[in-house]
Amino acid sequence: MRGLAWRASCLVAAVYGYFLIFAQFAWVELIRSAGGQEKPMLGAMAVAGMAAGFWIAWKGVTAGKIRIGLALAALASALAPLADGMMSMLTVSILTGIGVGMSTVGLATLLPSWCGLFWVGLGTGVGYACCNLPIVFQQSSAHQAWIGSVFAVVGLLVFPGNQNTHHEEPPRREIPFVSVLVLFTALVWLDSAAFFIIQHAVDLKSGTWGSGLLWRNAALHLAAAIASGVWLKSCRRTFVPASAWGLLAVAALAVNHETSRSVAGWLYPVGVSLYSVALVAWPGWFSGARAQHSIGWRAAWLFAIAGWFGSANGIGMAETLQRVPVTFILISGVCVLGVLVSSNRLSWRVLTAAAIVWVVAFLGEKKADVPETDSVALGKQVYLAEGCIHCHSQYVRPGSLDELNWGPVRTDSLKGKPVVIGNRRQGPDLTDVGARRSATWLKLHFINPQAFSPGSPMPSYAYLFKDRRGDDLVHYLQANGLDGMTDVFQKAMTWQPESSQSAGRGAELFQNHCAVCHGASGKGDGEMSGLLTKAPANLVDGPFVWSSAGTGRIRQIIKFGIPGTDMPGHETLKDEQIVALEEFVSCLRKLASETGRE
Amino acid sequence: MSTQEHGGVVCAARHALAWLVVGNSVGLLLSTLLLEPSWQPGEFTYGHWVPVHLNSQLYGWTALPLVAWLLSMYEVDLSRFRRWGAAVIAAWSAALAASCLFWLRGDTSGKIFLDWRNGSLWAFLTALIVLWILLCASFRDRAQSWRKIRRRLSLIGLIVLAAVPGVMVVAASPKTYPPIDPTTGGPTGSSLLGSTLSVIGLMLLLPRVTGLAGRGKAGLATWIFFVVSWLVFAVTESIGGGHFDFWQIGAMLMLLPWAWLIPRDWKGYAWPQKVRIWRNGMLFWWGMLVLTGVSMYAPGVLDCLKFTQGLVGHSHLAMAGFTTSFCAVLITLLTNRAVGGTRSIYAWHLAVAIMILALVAMGWREGQSPEWMIVHATWRQLGFVVRASCGLVMLAASVDWLIRFTKS
Repeated sequence: MRGLAWRASCLVAAVYGYFLIFAQFAWVELIRSAGGQEKPMLGAMAVAGMAAGFWIAWKGVTAGKIRIGLALAALASALAPLADGMMSMLTVSILTGIGVGMSTVGLATLLPSWCGLFWVGLGTGVGYACCNLPIVFQQSSAHQAWIGSVFAVVGLLVFPGNQNTHHEEPPRREIPFVSVLVLFTALVWLDSAAFFIIQHAVDLKSGTWGSGLLWRNAALHLAAAIASGVWLKSCRRTFVPASAWGLLAVAALAVNHETSRSVAGWLYPVGVSLYSVALVAWPGWFSGARAQHSIGWRAAWLFAIAGWFGSANGIGMAETLQRVPVTFILISGVCVLGVLVSSNRLSWRVLTAAAIVWVVAFLGEKKADVPETDSVALGKQVYLAEGCIHCHSQYVRPGSLDELNWGPVRTDSLKGKPVVIGNRRQGPDLTDVGARRSATWLKLHFINPQAFSPGSPMPSYAYLFKDRRGDDLVHYLQANGLDGMTDVFQKAMTWQPESSQSAGRGAELFQNHCAVCHGASGKGDGEMSGLLTKAPANLVDGPFVWSSAGTGRIRQIIKFGIPGTDMPGHETLKDEQIVALEEFVSCLRKLASETGRE
Repeated sequence: MSTQEHGGVVCAARHALAWLVVGNSVGLLLSTLLLEPSWQPGEFTYGHWVPVHLNSQLYGWTALPLVAWLLSMYEVDLSRFRRWGAAVIAAWSAALAASCLFWLRGDTSGKIFLDWRNGSLWAFLTALIVLWILLCASFRDRAQSWRKIRRRLSLIGLIVLAAVPGVMVVAASPKTYPPIDPTTGGPTGSSLLGSTLSVIGLMLLLPRVTGLAGRGKAGLATWIFFVVSWLVFAVTESIGGGHFDFWQIGAMLMLLPWAWLIPRDWKGYAWPQKVRIWRNGMLFWWGMLVLTGVSMYAPGVLDCLKFTQGLVGHSHLAMAGFTTSFCAVLITLLTNRAVGGTRSIYAWHLAVAIMILALVAMGWREGQSPEWMIVHATWRQLGFVVRASCGLVMLAASVDWLIRFTKS
């Protein structure tokens, strides 16, 4: 019996593979590249698909009819690259529709007599995974059409010959079929709209289906589809579509914003695979139908309404609006929740209570009441929103090393609204950061922290500078340091290390902390030198050429920088490391001349 | 004690465990983001996820068992309104879920553990009010069958609970901030005493209210000491000061006897077999929490550990060690269902212990020389790997608990 289940699972993979790689993907591209009219062709395919689905349900599903469907599908995709005229394209579209319609409705009808839900999940996952493999996904449209033919032929070859006598017991309480139609139509509509947006924006496509991400997508599809099969088997039939909707809704929201598209790349494959398994399994396992004839009719209606109608409308909506509207996401959510209620798995009390809370939450949402002109106040909002408080403190502890490194002590730490003392330092204290770092340095550091601090755990905040948030944040941090400027100046002029012992390895310290601006050889030609307000000093020919180590000024500059310029301090380095750096900087001219002689 | 399948108590326990899984998943994500910052998912950077992690643990995993306790005390599952128990829990979780979305988007008050603002604040207030209304309705329905003393205490409880939404609004407001220790910027000894005494109150209450057989060994002296501790809190709170001051150190020292008094009191009760593993774990972590909490407040020690991984380790001792064990004890007593199997429970405790040791060791080095985190990247990364590995074990354990509880 396991051999039968394997064959059934392979057939599911083949039918899904054909549909995804050819009917939904390659054929559309071929029509476009041949200059054909996309809408009439896809419309013809949909009408043919629905008609074929109803026909096979009416006449009764048999293995022979499904085989004919698969053969027509294989023929259509084999001919597709050759179609260059209106009639030939129409023929391929109709053949494809008939093939898909007959094979999907027939498959959904016979599956319960071949295998269990796990195998349906496995087959769906394999189908999706195969289509996401780089060797398939990155082929030309013509090659993908022929790969579609291969899928259909594989389906014919693995076709299960007989029927299993074992049936998984369907659940006692069925969800009304009308509710099922609403549920899956909402899901397919949402999926198709999000898919269209991703497909038609180059940056979104690369962010979700970029070459490096295909293996990840394949793995996600496979894992989610198998999980879906397992969950459906354990009778969590409402959990699967509900969680699929949740994932697709967040993915649809994420694709609307360029900066969050990577999130969509993770959620979309999981959401799609979850509900795809349920879509195939529902007529046979959860629609309440026992006889094959009834299952066939339900499959035909489900695939016609949810599959063809839902996907056409999802694509049409996204094409018109060029986004997935939040209103639609909410409406689809209401549909899904409505079905959960109608299934009696979730009481109306629970739904009402949760809905009230969510409505209140979204009614209570409001924008920060900070004037657009107050860049510093807006910057503080960015500071809070980005959660800077979780890695940076703004509190200089009196009498501690903080005073030297991050001081001076401030008396107004508790006057902010809100107070932003923080309780953790993954990075430095920011109380007087404006006195210690220039606006330019802060911006460059936000964009690429690791360039200035190798191994820093700070993420890049380059996205903040795509709008005004980044500049507002820099203004806020700069304003923060105004009161401490005098103190930092004084320290920078008077500080001396506790001992003049050197830690050695000055060259290594220089490469890690200085070379990014001053260059590897100290000539002021580092990676960031061109981006700073004023070119960094050439330390070979420049200001310290006649200064020897131990005179004080070099070590003060290394420790505290030059306040008011782009030269930052290196407050966290130990005294002996500062001395080692000073020694190295003092020798740069000598090193350069020695290198020159060689 | 009600253990009805679809009752509010069981539902609250299930939601609490689900939030523990959510919180642990996000915690693991945070650990990996510290290891490899380039893995930040779009604009949802490390700082966006921290409130989700912290609040899932506090308002989901920790608060929901307490809500279950309230539902149990007011006999909601035995009242005419029993079907509303699950609805109230759904409202609570819906509020937290909506708030997580707000926090992820960056809409936060900026106050750690009190991130409620705008939509999230209104949602949470609604959940609190809905819960309060249900408790009132259940009180009205059930109180006639209670003894007079219970009736009166429950009524006082309702009056106190009515103030909670208002307190939340004030506490979450950016305009308010609690007194701080000026030498560290952290909480004062007295405020630590006050918050810990609240927990001590719950621990004294737990075996007495949940109807365990036996008699607690907290004699009159213990209760007098409890009252005196609150008085010390009141006095030292009004005096203020830092961790070098006599009164603040004295306030912290008041906690030390409780490391022994609570286990002694609990020894007098006949604990069900299935709760013992968690009870023992809880008492171990409680002792560690008190001893390390008092030690870490000592002058010199706090100066070294403040703002470092060391305090993060201590927070995990409090939440992952002690609070988790307490919540598991509470859930088991309320639902008569075991939380987790022996292996996953031991795996959890072991992972928590290793994580704490790693974090405190890192924090100690970091506190001695602030450049340690930057210069010794290899050691720091090793520490983060240990932390993430422990996080993975804890996540797996919590998933096991959720599955087992749901199936039981």
